[in-house]
Amino acid sequence: MNEVKIKRSILARLIPRLTSLTKRGPSGWMIIVGIVIVSALVIMTVIGPYVSPHDPSAILVGPIRAPPSLQFPMGTNHLGQDMLSRVLCGGSIMLQVAAFSVLICFIIGVPIGLFSSYVGGFFDSACSLVIDALYAFPGLVIAIAIAAMLGPGVINMALSIAVVYIPSYFRIVRSQVLSIKELAYVEAARASGSKWYTILFRYIFPNVIPSIVVVVTINFADAILTAAGLTFIGLGVAVNIPDWGWDLTKGRELIASGTWWVITFPGIMIILLALGFTFIGEGLSELLNPKLQR
Amino acid sequence: MGLRSYIITRILLTIPTLLLLLSMVFLFMRVLPGDPVYLHFEKKATPEQVEQMRHLLGLDKPLWTQYIDYLLGLVNFRYFLQHGYPNLGKSMQNYEPVGGQVFSAFPATLELAIYSMLIASVMGILLGVISSKSYNSVLDHLIRGLGTIAYAIPVFFLGIMFQLIFGVYLHWLPTGLRINPNVQPPAHITGLYTLDSLLEGNLFKFFESLKALLLPSLTLGIVLSGMFIRLTRTNMLETLRLDFVTAARARGLKESTVTYGYALRNAFLPILTMMGLQFAMLLGGAILTETTFSWPGLGSYIVSRINYRDYTAIQGAVVMFGLFVTLVSLVVDILYAYFDPRIRL
Amino acid sequence: MERAELTIVVLVLIGIIVSSGTMYYTATVVSNVSTVSDDMSTLRESMLNLTSTVRDLATITGTLAEAMGEFTQTLADLEARLAAIEASLAAKAKETLIVGTTDGVEATLDPAQAYDYFGWCILQQIAETLVSVKPGSISGTDFQPELAASWNSSTDGKTWDFTLRQGIMLPDGTEFNATHVKYSFDRAINLIPDIPDGAPANLGYDQIINYTEALSRYTVRFVLNDAFGPFLGIMACRSSAIVDPAYAPMDAQVNYTSGDPRGSTAAAFLAPYYLSRWERVGDKDIEIRLDKNPYYWNATSEYPKTKTIIFRFYRDFSTLRLAIEAGDIDMAFRHISAIDALDLEDNPNVEVWWGPPGAPLQMLCFQENHEPLNDSRVRKAIAAAINRTAVCATLFPGLANPTYSMIPPGMLGHTEAFTKLGDLNYTLTRSLLAELGYNETNKLEFDLWYESSGHYPLSAEQALMLKQQIEGSGVIEITLRPADWPSYRANRNAGIMDVFIYGWYPDYFDPDDYVFLYWASWLNLHYSTWSPAAYAEQVALYNEARYTSNTTLRVELYSQIEDISVEQCSIVPLYLMPPWAVTKPNVKGVVFDITQDMRYWLIYIGD
Repeated sequence: MNEVKIKRSILARLIPRLTSLTKRGPSGWMIIVGIVIVSALVIMTVIGPYVSPHDPSAILVGPIRAPPSLQFPMGTNHLGQDMLSRVLCGGSIMLQVAAFSVLICFIIGVPIGLFSSYVGGFFDSACSLVIDALYAFPGLVIAIAIAAMLGPGVINMALSIAVVYIPSYFRIVRSQVLSIKELAYVEAARASGSKWYTILFRYIFPNVIPSIVVVVTINFADAILTAAGLTFIGLGVAVNIPDWGWDLTKGRELIASGTWWVITFPGIMIILLALGFTFIGEGLSELLNPKLQR
Repeated sequence: MGLRSYIITRILLTIPTLLLLLSMVFLFMRVLPGDPVYLHFEKKATPEQVEQMRHLLGLDKPLWTQYIDYLLGLVNFRYFLQHGYPNLGKSMQNYEPVGGQVFSAFPATLELAIYSMLIASVMGILLGVISSKSYNSVLDHLIRGLGTIAYAIPVFFLGIMFQLIFGVYLHWLPTGLRINPNVQPPAHITGLYTLDSLLEGNLFKFFESLKALLLPSLTLGIVLSGMFIRLTRTNMLETLRLDFVTAARARGLKESTVTYGYALRNAFLPILTMMGLQFAMLLGGAILTETTFSWPGLGSYIVSRINYRDYTAIQGAVVMFGLFVTLVSLVVDILYAYFDPRIRL
Repeated sequence: MERAELTIVVLVLIGIIVSSGTMYYTATVVSNVSTVSDDMSTLRESMLNLTSTVRDLATITGTLAEAMGEFTQTLADLEARLAAIEASLAAKAKETLIVGTTDGVEATLDPAQAYDYFGWCILQQIAETLVSVKPGSISGTDFQPELAASWNSSTDGKTWDFTLRQGIMLPDGTEFNATHVKYSFDRAINLIPDIPDGAPANLGYDQIINYTEALSRYTVRFVLNDAFGPFLGIMACRSSAIVDPAYAPMDAQVNYTSGDPRGSTAAAFLAPYYLSRWERVGDKDIEIRLDKNPYYWNATSEYPKTKTIIFRFYRDFSTLRLAIEAGDIDMAFRHISAIDALDLEDNPNVEVWWGPPGAPLQMLCFQENHEPLNDSRVRKAIAAAINRTAVCATLFPGLANPTYSMIPPGMLGHTEAFTKLGDLNYTLTRSLLAELGYNETNKLEFDLWYESSGHYPLSAEQALMLKQQIEGSGVIEITLRPADWPSYRANRNAGIMDVFIYGWYPDYFDPDDYVFLYWASWLNLHYSTWSPAAYAEQVALYNEARYTSNTTLRVELYSQIEDISVEQCSIVPLYLMPPWAVTKPNVKGVVFDITQDMRYWLIYIGD
């Protein structure tokens, strides 16, 4: 009885939230479109292995480099693998890499940013200096170097991407905290003797969340593109795991001989996924930008 | 604080940042796994040969000595004057001075960055202004949509599409290299082919290098413009709501004057900051573009050096890049302070 | 939208269209030499027509005849000048060959150091050895005299005497003689401690050669430590090229120097070409230019057939393919992908050339320190489950050849030894593994490693195919593990890869440089530890073959070695790749042979 009540209340809270977004103008619509795209692709990737007509890694299920036809709606690649199955199943690596890198960034970047800017003083200046120096590194180069030296794998790729993004999280959090810190009710809380961690997590953190969410979505989109880039350089996962990035890389070599379908369909998927996240991020940042309120 | 004192403070602050950057690069290279020594020996290597190779690569010295050598080499001005490039050590693969390699690869990336930036900012700012002026109209949504899509496309995907369409099917533009293989590159003055050919007075070479530049800078420029469109649009929207704009309109000024003379001017500063940072960050995107178009710049240099675990080379290139970024952000900060006195406080 | 913005946008668009149109127009008009010469010939034809019409007029009108005569004379002059221009344009176009490649010189063009394919390629065009392999050779052992007119060896094979040609001049006026040969080899050996990774070190010059002696002005003697069968093969290697003492210091290697091509190589310019330009940007070559060597000793041969070769360097295979397809370059060699090469066969604007398979060789290696790979039955079981033919047919159709021997076909000692195990021989696999207790419920598990940064062609696809083939037996389970080249090499040295695909490119084309792979210590497979008896037997046979010149005996010995190898399966040879090049249809003279070398002096642009 209680469980039913809770479920209904979660749903009851979620749906009006989503519908209320539509009333918030074009930014709201952007967010909804983004969420729809992302969820559609995630669902497709999750049920992919069960609905794909062929095993995505099985070789020679069809003729080599066959153009799209009724039997193979997205054609086959140079190994005779079915592209439709590969498109349905190929997003999991990218999503995993993106999710892990966001997680790592969040767990590391946000607490450091919160703590450093709240404490202030020398510690804060030191942290900022280190982070600024890190920010001056060429991102993709560091990602490539780390991925090359750690070896292939989802975690390693996520790690290399995360290292590049932590400075952004730190900066956003810090700039937010610095302005919130001086607000009246925070002062009041301090004066009334609250512990520092109460102030930080109960008062400051919730106000920082909106801007972090924006960075998270941009991070997701960029992580997906960077993962594709890393695979392009040759640092992707093992070849028996279907991956859009791998198809993109191989498709590029095939396109000169007229085989356009190997790069096009996975490419569209990657663009859609990155687009979905970007839409959410952009819509959110517009909604939350106080300067744009009429 | 006056402008001068701000500049001085800012420059002084750059020094510890630079030192930190250099040390981080050094540590980063040494700490990660991977050994360049064994890459020299495909077949069996006796311990003496390995030791000899380690000695030749300078890896037998203790870490501290290597670090000090590295720092001292960077500030060795006599070397710089003698060779025209700083002492960044010797490549661990072919013993050539890394400074020379990095300095020779840099102009190609610089040229690509300049033209990409040009395309990105002109397109981005113009479209962003148009979009902000027609807020919420179909045009606005169209431009925003295109901008977002441009940003979401993987750079190499766009690159190969362009190569295919303009290089193979239409046969209008070359698909790679900095200049047509039949043409001798212009004499090296700055390393920027377009500039050098103009300095040489050779209009034919100018057009040939421009042709080769067009596809890669268009690829990078379009992807970057997405960000500029969004930034310009947001900043313009904010500025256009402010009182002084309404006042200017009320005074009867032409709409174009209001838009460009008043609103854009004030919204421009954050855009300038972003432009500066993006220009420096172009190296990240340039890697993939350079690989796609066989562009011999710093990006492809780094990628190929990583494949040799050539620490000194990667170090040298990253240092070069880091210096460049720090310099550019210094200039941007100073410009910002010049235009916006509030910053100096 | 404001009118101002609209105007600006329209103007910008017009500007873009106009400027791109102008550029296109300018480029098309100005840059295409053959279009100009085509126009020239059309113009000439029109001139001819005009001349004949004018002549007709002259015969009709008598009074105009004189004026016409003058006019015809002017026309004839113009015609002659046009013909001359056209001829020189056509000649110029045939004088230069532009070659595109994704290779590059790895370090230097110093014979004492260079050990990469492209470094050796350039050295072959600009430097000369005492002997060389005949173009078109399949066995790799038919040598022809180059700087040495004749040679002979002592009965015990330890002493070799070479008689040099006389009257060969170096560009600075000195005559080539035995002291140059002695200097070159002394230098190569002298630099071995300083260049531990160079070609002389790797080929073992200091272990093979005891000393070199100039017997007379035109005779050189090499005294070896032991009779060495493939000695002529080593003498034909690029590390045996003659250096110029004026530019090759005894104690130092010669490095690339920007803007100074002569100072960038140690080689003596005794070959058809000399290095006239070598530019690098960053770590990669931008341009290498070879020009005809006016002092080439073999002037009667009419080599080089093309006066100038210009190399242009591309980063990746697709761009190279697009370049040859678009006609930006005359020839593309190394590496257009197999798929692209096969695709281009149908393109009438290009011609594709193939050669006999010889290198590189792809093989499957087993790390015997990892149980149960130390048991030869397990290795044989895995080897039997492979289908080389399918891999070649799918990935390199018509290109790679499955090989059942470590020695390439055509070379002496080639056998079909590994056919004994069969392809997709699941019965053998299952029976062998059953002896050790492996079956459907208790599968043999191991990692199959492959190189992921493009060092070997299509290695990921090969690994995937092999995995599916081997797993088809039903009793084996494989995990694929990729690694980029430096990690792959480090893993090889550390011996952590269970089973891995590896490649081999020989230094000289003799079975001696292929067969030893079965037990090569630097592959770190610990074969000698786990099968000491078989190893000892193979090494004994190998040494016997190495130190004899009796070819029948050598064939017999190599056959015995291969028989042992099939039983042991320390390494399984998979396939051999042939070389291929793509050229414009008017490029002729491309010769492929077992050496995988490209002799650019044989190539010419014809009609």
